Amino acid sequence: MVKAVVMPRLGQSEETVKIVHWRKQLGDTVAKGDILFEIETDKAILEVESFYAGTLLKIVAGEGVTVPVQTTVAFVGDPGEPVPEVVLPPVLPKEVEASRPSAAPPPQRDLAGGRRPPSSASPRPVDLPPTAPTVAEPQVFRISPRAAKLAKESAIDPTPIVGTGPGGRIVERDVKQYLEAQGYDRLRITPTAKKLAAREGINLLSLAPKEDGSQTTVADIERVLAERPKPLTRMRQIIAQRLTESYTHAPHFFVTVSADVTELESLRAELKAQGTPYTLTDFILKATALALEQFPTVNSTSDGVSIRWRSKIHLGLAVALEQGLVVPVIRQANELTLAEIHARAQELTAKARAGQLTPAEMTGSTFTISNLGMMDVENFTAIINPGESAILAISSSAKQPVVRNDQVVIRSMMKMTLSSDHRLIDGASAARFLNSIRKSLEEISLWQRSI
Amino acid sequence: MAAFDIVVIGAGPGGYPAAIRAAQLGASVALVEKEKLGGTCLNWGCIPTKTLIASSELFARIKSAGAMGLRVDNPSFDYAAMADRKDQVVQKLRNGVKQLLKANGVTVFEGSASFQTRNRIQVDPAGSGTETVTLAAAKTIISTGAASAMPGFLPRHERVVESRGFLNLRALPATTLILGGGIIGCEFACMLAQLGVRVTMVELLEDIIAGVDADVRRELRRHMEKTLGIRILTGVTLEEIAADDHGVRGRAGQESLEADLLLVALGRKPVTQSLKLENAGLIPNEHGFLDVDAYGRTRVVTIYAVGDVTGGPLLAHAATSQGLVAAENACGRYLRKNETVVPNCIFTTPEIGTVGLSEQEAQQQSRKIKTGKYLMGALGKALAIGEPIGFVKWVSDAETDQLLGAHAVGPHATDLIAEAAVAIRAELTAAELAHTIHAHPTLAEAWMEAAHALMGEPIHSAPPRKPS
Repeated sequence: MVKAVVMPRLGQSEETVKIVHWRKQLGDTVAKGDILFEIETDKAILEVESFYAGTLLKIVAGEGVTVPVQTTVAFVGDPGEPVPEVVLPPVLPKEVEASRPSAAPPPQRDLAGGRRPPSSASPRPVDLPPTAPTVAEPQVFRISPRAAKLAKESAIDPTPIVGTGPGGRIVERDVKQYLEAQGYDRLRITPTAKKLAAREGINLLSLAPKEDGSQTTVADIERVLAERPKPLTRMRQIIAQRLTESYTHAPHFFVTVSADVTELESLRAELKAQGTPYTLTDFILKATALALEQFPTVNSTSDGVSIRWRSKIHLGLAVALEQGLVVPVIRQANELTLAEIHARAQELTAKARAGQLTPAEMTGSTFTISNLGMMDVENFTAIINPGESAILAISSSAKQPVVRNDQVVIRSMMKMTLSSDHRLIDGASAARFLNSIRKSLEEISLWQRSI
Repeated sequence: MAAFDIVVIGAGPGGYPAAIRAAQLGASVALVEKEKLGGTCLNWGCIPTKTLIASSELFARIKSAGAMGLRVDNPSFDYAAMADRKDQVVQKLRNGVKQLLKANGVTVFEGSASFQTRNRIQVDPAGSGTETVTLAAAKTIISTGAASAMPGFLPRHERVVESRGFLNLRALPATTLILGGGIIGCEFACMLAQLGVRVTMVELLEDIIAGVDADVRRELRRHMEKTLGIRILTGVTLEEIAADDHGVRGRAGQESLEADLLLVALGRKPVTQSLKLENAGLIPNEHGFLDVDAYGRTRVVTIYAVGDVTGGPLLAHAATSQGLVAAENACGRYLRKNETVVPNCIFTTPEIGTVGLSEQEAQQQSRKIKTGKYLMGALGKALAIGEPIGFVKWVSDAETDQLLGAHAVGPHATDLIAEAAVAIRAELTAAELAHTIHAHPTLAEAWMEAAHALMGEPIHSAPPRKPS
C-alpha cells in the first residue's frame, strides 16, 4: 500500500525545511529505518529516516526545495502501485543562490558542448578560464559535434576558439587551427596523462610547462586534479556562512585571564577516585551560568539598534567532530546542579559524536563555551555564535611558575579568553564577568559545599 | 693529497658508470675498488652465472633435440671447460671496463676506501708495496654493493658455499641442497638440474621467488618440479645443518636431507663495514643499508649512494641507473630523480621478466585493475622454436587503461620485458600497445595479443564469455 512520506517536525522553531539531498533515488528499495533524504536547518544538516518499507515511487519535493513541515514529500509503496497526485503547498522563496559556492560562471557550457546533466553540481574547474573578454560573446555557444569531440579528445577548452562555421559555429577546422596556433603539437604528454586529462576536463593548454623540460605525466595530471576546488560539505558551508556573518557584523574584542585551577584539579581527582568523574568543563559551565546571572548584559543580544535580554540561561557547548563543529545546548544551566550539568553535558556530547542531536538540542543557546583544553593550546580566541553577545574560549591548564605572597610557586594555570560583542559589552564589564568566573573556579569551598 | 671533484667508492655496475658519466660531465673523477673492476655483477654475479646458465640451457635443449627432428647421440659436457669459458667472458668484460675508464680519464685507485672526514677518503692498498693514499673529495658516491649473507648457524666448511664460492668450483657435485628459494637459489637450481645434479631446495616462506606475481610463481614452480625434477620444500626451515668431508646434512621438518654440497642463497647484506661511515656523519638504517632520497643523496649533502648498498631491488641495472642519476646530480647538471620503473629478470628455465605492479600489489593498494593474458602455447613463434611454455600478462588501471605492470614467464622472457618497461615508463595505455604493429612471427607479439585480451577483444585466443 502506498504510504506518504511526510516532512517531520524536528524542532519547535522549524516551520519550513529545505531538502538538500535525496539519499534514495526513484525506484530504490527502501527498508524501514533507511535514510531517505537530508534536510538543512539553520543549525545543521539532518537525516530523515523512512518509517515504511517498500520502493520509493515518487519524489514530490526534490533537492533544493523548501517545504513546510508536515508536507508530503514522497511516496513509498510496492512497485507499480498508483501514486496520488499531490501539489506542493506554496513554497517559500528559495535561498539566495549566491550563497552557494558552486555557482558557475555563465554561460553554462560543457567541454564537449553537450548538455550538462542537471544533477552535476560540481564546480567548474578553475583551469578552464571563462571566455576571454576580447572575444565577442555569442548568444549561444555553438560547436559542431566533430569539433567538440576533437576538443574533448585533445583535452582543451574550446570556448576561446573563434568559430568560422555557419552562424559563428566552431567547426573541426577551427579547433585544428587553434591547436596549431597554441603550439599543441609541442606539448609533451604521455598517452595515459592525455586520456586522464580529457576524461577529467583538464585543459592541457593551461598547464605550465615543466621546469626540467620533461613530459607531462599521470602524476602531473593527478596533482592538478588534487588541487581542484571541491565543494565544502554542507556542514562546513553553514559554519562558513554563520561565522563570517558574526565576525563581520559584531565588532569582537577579547579579554584574557588566567585561572588557578590547582585546587580544582585536586578536588576533581578526589571526586574521580570516589567514582564521580566530573570534567573541568562541568565546573566551567556551572561557574559561567552563575556569572551570567550576575551580568545580564552578557546574556543579551543586540542588532545594533536594540538590546534584548534573555531571561533564561542556555549554555551552548562546542563539540568538535571530524567533519566540523556542533553546539549542543544545556538549557537553563543556572538551575541545574553540578551533577545535573555533568550528566547533561555527557549525554549531549555523546549524541553529538554519534550525529544524533536533534535541531531542538542545537538551538536557542544564549552563551557558548568552547573548550580546547584537550588540544594542548596556550590560548585562543573564539568567534561569537550568531545571536549571542559573547563566547568563552578555554585553553589547556598547565603547570606554571606563578608568584604567590612574593614567592615563586608552581600552580596549574588555565587561560580563558572572552570574545565579546563590543556594541553591547564594554571592556570593564567583560573583565568583571570573566573575573567572576575565575573567582568561582578558584573558590574551592564553593564547590565543596555544592557537591 | 690528490683532490677530485667526485670520488666513487666501488667499481660495480653502480659505481663505474657513475664515474664515467661524471667524467663526461667534466668532473675530475677517482674510482676506488678493493677487488675487481665490475663488482659483483661482472665477476661473481650476473655475468658468470648467465654464462654457465647459457651452457646448461643449451645442453638441456640438445638433450631434447629429438623433438625437433635432430639426432644427437649421448650428449655430454665438461664442467671445467664451461667454467673456463665463464672466466674468459668475465675477463673480457673486465678489460672492457678498464679501457672505458681509461678512455674517459677516470683515475682508478686499487684499495679499500674509508672516510677520514666527510670529504676526505683514505685508500689502503689491497696488496703490499703501494702506499696509503688520501683523496680530497668535493662529492662522493658510495657504491659498495652487497655480499651474500652467511648466517652464523651455518657450518664453515668447503662443502657449504654461497653463490660466489660456487663459481670457484671446477667440478659439479652429484647432489646439492639449496638453502633459500629466492631468485639466486632458483637460478642455480635450474642450472644444476639441467646438468644432471639432483637438487633439493628448502625455502622458509610458503612459496619460492616471493613477491613475484602469483601466476608466474606457479608456472615456474610447476616447471622446476615437473620438467627439471627439482624437489622444492617450502614453508619449512632447514635445521641441524652439519657438514663434513663426506657431505652435508640437515633436517627439514620430519625429513633428513643429505647432499654433496650445500648452496646458501639467503639474500644479500650491504657492504659498509670498512667505510668508517661514522667519520662522514653517516649511519646505516636498521637493516644496514644507507638511506637515500629520490635524488640519490644521503643525509650528508655531498655524499650520494647508489645500488645495493641503498637497499631497494638489488639489481645491477637499477644500480647503473641510480649511478648515472647520482653522477648527474652531483655534477649539478640538473636534479633528476631515480627511476621507479625497474624491470626484474630471473634466469630460470623458463625465464621470468616482470616490471611494475603485480595483481597482488594492486589489490593491496585497493587499485582497480584489469588484466590481459596471452599464452605462449598459442603463439606461432613459440611453437616454431619448440618452447610453447608460459605466458605474458598485462596489468592496467581499470579506468584509464594505463599499463601498470607486466609479467612474462617463458622463452626469452628476460628480453621481452624490455618492451613492457618502455611502455610502462612512457605511461602508454593498453590501446596504444595493442595498436602498435608487432612483427610476425616473434615472441614479442604476445604483448600485443595480451593487450587486445585486456581490452576484451582478443584476436588469437577465445573471447571472454559474454554475460548472457
